Amino acid sequence: MSETEQIRAKAKELLDSKKVDCVIGYERATDGKNARPMFVYNAKDTDRLIFDQTCRHNLVRYLLNRKDKVTGIVVKPCDSRAINLLINEHQIARDKVVIIGVVCPGLVKTDWNKTGDKLRDACQICQQRTPVVYDVLIGEPKKVEPPADAYPDVTGMEGKSVEEKRAFWEKEFSRCIRCYACRQACPGCYCSECFVDRLDPLWVGIRIAPAENEMWNTMRAFHLGGRCIGCNACEMVCPVNIPLSLLNRKLEKEVMTLFKFQAGLDPEAPQPLAAFLKDEKLGVAE
Amino acid sequence: MAVEYQPRIVGFLCNWCSYAGADSAGTARMSYPPNIRIIRVPCSGRVDPLLIVKSFQMGADGVLIAGCHPGDCHYTEGNYYARRRFALLRPFLEYLGIERARFQVEWVSASEGKRWAQVVTSFTNQVAQLGPRKLLVPEATR
Amino acid sequence: MSKFISKKDLNSWLNKVREKRRLIAPTKVEDLVLFKEISKVEDIVSDYVNTDLSPKEFFFPPTEVLFSIAKKDGGVELTPARVEKETVIFGMRPCDAKGIIALDKPFLEEPTDPLYREHRDKTILVGVACLKACPECFCSSMGGGPDDPAGFDIMLTEVKDGYLVQVLTDKGKALMPDSMLSESKEAKPKAAEVAKVPAEGVNVRLRQNFDDPYWGRLADRCIHCNMCSYVCPTCYCFDIRDYPNKGKSDRVRSWESCQSAGFTKIAGGHDPRANKGIRMRQRFAHKLLYFPEQFGVSHCIGCGRCVKSCPVNIDIREIISDVQKLGAKGE
Repeated sequence: MSETEQIRAKAKELLDSKKVDCVIGYERATDGKNARPMFVYNAKDTDRLIFDQTCRHNLVRYLLNRKDKVTGIVVKPCDSRAINLLINEHQIARDKVVIIGVVCPGLVKTDWNKTGDKLRDACQICQQRTPVVYDVLIGEPKKVEPPADAYPDVTGMEGKSVEEKRAFWEKEFSRCIRCYACRQACPGCYCSECFVDRLDPLWVGIRIAPAENEMWNTMRAFHLGGRCIGCNACEMVCPVNIPLSLLNRKLEKEVMTLFKFQAGLDPEAPQPLAAFLKDEKLGVAE
Repeated sequence: MAVEYQPRIVGFLCNWCSYAGADSAGTARMSYPPNIRIIRVPCSGRVDPLLIVKSFQMGADGVLIAGCHPGDCHYTEGNYYARRRFALLRPFLEYLGIERARFQVEWVSASEGKRWAQVVTSFTNQVAQLGPRKLLVPEATR
Repeated sequence: MSKFISKKDLNSWLNKVREKRRLIAPTKVEDLVLFKEISKVEDIVSDYVNTDLSPKEFFFPPTEVLFSIAKKDGGVELTPARVEKETVIFGMRPCDAKGIIALDKPFLEEPTDPLYREHRDKTILVGVACLKACPECFCSSMGGGPDDPAGFDIMLTEVKDGYLVQVLTDKGKALMPDSMLSESKEAKPKAAEVAKVPAEGVNVRLRQNFDDPYWGRLADRCIHCNMCSYVCPTCYCFDIRDYPNKGKSDRVRSWESCQSAGFTKIAGGHDPRANKGIRMRQRFAHKLLYFPEQFGVSHCIGCGRCVKSCPVNIDIREIISDVQKLGAKGE
């Protein structure tokens, strides 16, 4: 059975047995090529569910709207880490989710009305091909050889001069239209009032201008420091193609170096910025 | 000779140790460069990275955070959290094109007036040496 | 017989236009095609179907200062912002001109927005007809068409080696006098075939199905970013703030979106549109029901930008069909 067929069968079983109230999966988008999230409430609709290399959304985001109902959810390996993150942060309960984990072949680059066969950059260096948490696993677990350099993109950026970095980020941030799709697509961005929406004090001005855009983009990334699970949902939804993963992955790399921590692997492990060791040496004020 | 470049420095000082340390430097009539604008905060752990990014954005050439020595925090552990946060923020700022030397964290106790004067002097010199920040982005107002 | 300009002559005309005015045209920015100020005519792209962001930003910018406030002689002096330079927007598509016509309604009807008025007066629109349609656009169902010249000062249609020209207004005539143009016997090429959506009577259906659970189900998938409003050529909501600036204060207007959570929050914290489904319904009802009722024209012009950029494929074409299918219940 293909992955799609297995997902359909499982979703049908979960809905028929009333174990879940809804299954969140993917269906074909209106361009006939991409995928889009689908909420299945009725077993007869399960045959619309699909799974392939265009299924780019991190559906875990939607669990935040369904905290009190039991939900079935289709997750890729990176998405599954978001479940651990949200359990760790007491946002969702493990017994309220039935996780249909799918072994991921990596996503292909897609655009509206276009799909290719080239893997996304993030997926080429991904080391997580099997979900870290699931109730049912679809596909054969895969082990991936870690690449020699897990952060080639970040290393490239680090090597630039101060002026080059400033120029690069200014150019990137100047395109931002502050639609906040990056925040809305992120499973880790769930504050009831985001710092950027605060009116009093107004931390970030309302201007859609380079200075405010920079403030927004840098602080968004930093708030996910040690929490970003690397699903890249933010970058994939950006309408003006700002390379947000360069920011996220820099923090991920530093968190790894400083605290030997990767987010979303263990629902019990304390988060690096919410913990400390009394005698640690971190290169600050020493 | 042209007027010597005067860097603008923002200092976030914890109320219990460093602010009192700065006070004791004053009472002892120690002198240090007047470039620093001090903002008193309850604890170094209260300093949101947002405040630092915002300071830089509004034209600061350097930002100095000062708090109690590890183990001496008035709230027991605020500065331990601060230490981790700033350990992560510092390389991030550098990555965004803000030189490492423009951002510094120091532990200064209430009795260390002399040390406070030294910290400010050396940090001011360090920032002055870098020159003004090349603000490609126009300063945010408000 | 129609007027004609060769590609070479058009380029030298654009160069001349650029000398005294701001020339805006579609150009490549990374992987996107955007309207930007052009410094070299060669940077203008012609092989685009439509730009990724709409040209509304040149009339209703993402952020602009409305006026400055300063203390003077014991009183307060207000200095309104002015538009200094004349702008020529080249390469706009017919749908986007329709978008500007729609924007004119709220901004130019009394009381007029003076800054918008000035942007409008000082801008000349040079359109290019669509010979190819995007897979997501549906202008001809929303009262427009791929070769509709409405709203343009000059309209071009690409033919071999040049463009057929329609000069439509006096502003256009002043910029491109007849003397520049030659006669051509070339037949006007067929405009693009644009997909249809069943928009006829959707306003009535929307009203009938105002309280249908459909909206709540649709909101399941919506992630409530502001992208659709910001790529839309006709969305015109904004927020206003004062920005203190060296002893003065600037009153600044920036884009806002009805899809953001705090948009309708009022004093005391109450939010009449706190629910995601209601916010979503607001967007589509404004496009297809309220605006047409108030101003007599559709507020969706069928450019398809929201369809293309929505991260979760909330597709207005599908919504129009779905609402039609809901039928005549309620009321």
